[in-house]
Amino acid sequence: MYNDKEASKIVDIIKNFARKHSLWIVAYGTGCGAIELPPTMTSRYDAERFGIRGSATPRQADVLLITGYLSVKTLKRVIRTYEQMQEPKYVIGFGSCTINGGMYWDSYNTIKALDRYLPVDVYINGCMPRPEAVISGFIKLQELIAQGKADGAKRYQENLEWYRENQRKVIKNWRMPEYNW
Amino acid sequence: MDKDFINENKTIEEIKNTFHSAEAKLQRKNRIIVKLRSDLIPPFLSYAKNYLSFDHLAHFSCVDWIEDNQFELVYILYSYEKNIIAIVKTRIDREKAEFVTVKHLWRQAETFEREFHEMYGINFTGNNRLTEFILEDWDDIPPMRRDFDTMQYSKENFYTRPGREDAQDVREVITKKSGEKIPDFAKEFSVRKLK
Amino acid sequence: MREKETTLYFGPQHPGITGNMMVKLKVAGDTIVKAETHVGYLHRAFEKLMERRTWMQSFPIVCRICVPEPDPNEENLARAVEEIEGREVPERAKYIRVMVLELSRLAAYFLWMGGQSGTAGLYTVPQWSVGDRDYILDLFEELTGGRIYHMYIWAGGVRRDLPEGFADKVLKTMDYIESRLPEYDKLMFDNAIFQKRAQGIGVIDKDKALEWGVVGPPLRGCGIKHDVRKDEPYEVYDKLDFVVPTYEGGDIWARAMVRRKEMEQSISIIRQVIEKMPGGEYYNKVPTPLNWFVPPGEAYVKTESARGEFGYYVVSDGSLKPRRVHVRGPAYVHGVSLLENILVGANISDVAMIMNSLGVCPPEIER
Repeated sequence: MYNDKEASKIVDIIKNFARKHSLWIVAYGTGCGAIELPPTMTSRYDAERFGIRGSATPRQADVLLITGYLSVKTLKRVIRTYEQMQEPKYVIGFGSCTINGGMYWDSYNTIKALDRYLPVDVYINGCMPRPEAVISGFIKLQELIAQGKADGAKRYQENLEWYRENQRKVIKNWRMPEYNW
Repeated sequence: MDKDFINENKTIEEIKNTFHSAEAKLQRKNRIIVKLRSDLIPPFLSYAKNYLSFDHLAHFSCVDWIEDNQFELVYILYSYEKNIIAIVKTRIDREKAEFVTVKHLWRQAETFEREFHEMYGINFTGNNRLTEFILEDWDDIPPMRRDFDTMQYSKENFYTRPGREDAQDVREVITKKSGEKIPDFAKEFSVRKLK
Repeated sequence: MREKETTLYFGPQHPGITGNMMVKLKVAGDTIVKAETHVGYLHRAFEKLMERRTWMQSFPIVCRICVPEPDPNEENLARAVEEIEGREVPERAKYIRVMVLELSRLAAYFLWMGGQSGTAGLYTVPQWSVGDRDYILDLFEELTGGRIYHMYIWAGGVRRDLPEGFADKVLKTMDYIESRLPEYDKLMFDNAIFQKRAQGIGVIDKDKALEWGVVGPPLRGCGIKHDVRKDEPYEVYDKLDFVVPTYEGGDIWARAMVRRKEMEQSISIIRQVIEKMPGGEYYNKVPTPLNWFVPPGEAYVKTESARGEFGYYVVSDGSLKPRRVHVRGPAYVHGVSLLENILVGANISDVAMIMNSLGVCPPEIER
């Protein structure tokens, strides 16, 4: 009755439905935005009702939350963390400084545009974004997942050369293991 | 006035009697400023710690006076007993930036010295831990020196998203884009008018 | 027999670490032989950026130095500028500043309670304390417009007056928080698990504490009674009635109890402030920010923050922009030289407990 293409479409819909209700965040507070995560997670805003919760290691996580500016030293660790994560994986840029540098636009140690270095699925603006904004960002991500549009990991694989070139431009001493997907 | 600052003036007297070349003066209540030749700093700090009860190194700072071609090292000592802060200052040559460590007196000085080694390029002899502290793989001049241009460095090394060129005068840009009028009280704060 | 030594990297991506930093541990079995703090992951070069900003533009910068408790930074810079300039501050502004500082101290302690008990394995306390902290953040939001970063205190006073009915709201929140404290006692401070995990761990030597530069609750946890609010009263702390709690022992437990008692003092201070607050102006006019020249001079000011003495060394050369603003946060000493020493001999599972109890906050180490 169904051909293969249609069958895989149905499987995708079921897969995406399951994925969007279980978004585990890597416990990596990369910037000052990490201070708004405890309120988001705990009793008042209770993000767990959307299936959002923390996870200790990158291997078990789905979402890498970049909470604010990234210094060059952190960027290196973030890239490693991201590459260790298993698919499905999504990146959320959190705060103005991931979008255009924010108030650190002239600093010598922070990167200005996160999507040059990692594939960003959703940006949340504000300095700093309120817990409601964080949750709304996650809901946006859930919508994208349901529509099958949150394809950051795929973009990263396809354009790896371009991302690597940008990353190497900033990280001068590249001593990183190469992961194969 | 002398009545109010008995402790402070007594300490200043003691310093002047021991170190004749020291310029010691009162800044305000609880604050004295001591200026010293750079070679007298280690004996002075040791004396201040052991005999004047300045047992707490509250802060250690460095100021770049590029116009004088000098670095100013500022040791801020606090005496819990006398409740006085002594700001001890000395100047060293900027080209050949070298100084001696004081980590044998206060071990937290080591951290400050590591930072200044990295940020100003000052070499503290005797401190064997002057390794990378905050920065990683830095290959430019030490960034906290006044002649380092962070704007320039940022432009050269990092991609900047277009759209921030007008960050200088946000208010006027908003006006242009949305047609909103600048209220009268705000006009005097406009950059262009001041220029 | 000597056990084989292994290197463990505690952080930067670790659920137990207090912020984005790393402690490199050498362990034999599960006992730490050597610890080395690595920081710099949050270096934004604030002090360099402030050389490029005007004095007024520096205020939004400094509050980002300490995320859990930004107000002492603003107050410090404001007071340093006022000292160099000789600018007067209206009495009402001083009272408002004290209120904001104490509210932020309470908020920081609530966050600390969550972190401290979370690392001990008591997961209910963070759910409660972070939720209760939000009541204080709501007050901040009404007063300043921001939950976390307020940019409220500036040279010459504060940015705006108290909104209508704000004092009553503060008092109501204080009543609520006071009624909650016994509950936290039951859940955390009287809890056998927490006591076992905290007592006798992470001990700071009392004789050496002053020389090592220990400040704030860790110092008072050694039984040494020093508090900047009493030693060198700033704003209106000399007109308020409060005690400085101390506790013997120098371990995590002592530091926790000091903080627990300080929360009561903070509530009492806030009530006194609201009772005594005079009317009148809330700021003295400062020049146009783009034409604001601060005369040459220098100042070292300090504040008692929730984690200890916060010092600012500010130098002005008479221009539009600061010559040098150097920040000395309590974690600068607690997080590097002190932590490296007291971790030796501790158990791996206690590292997060010790770091939390010292209040190690990496943004103020590297700025």
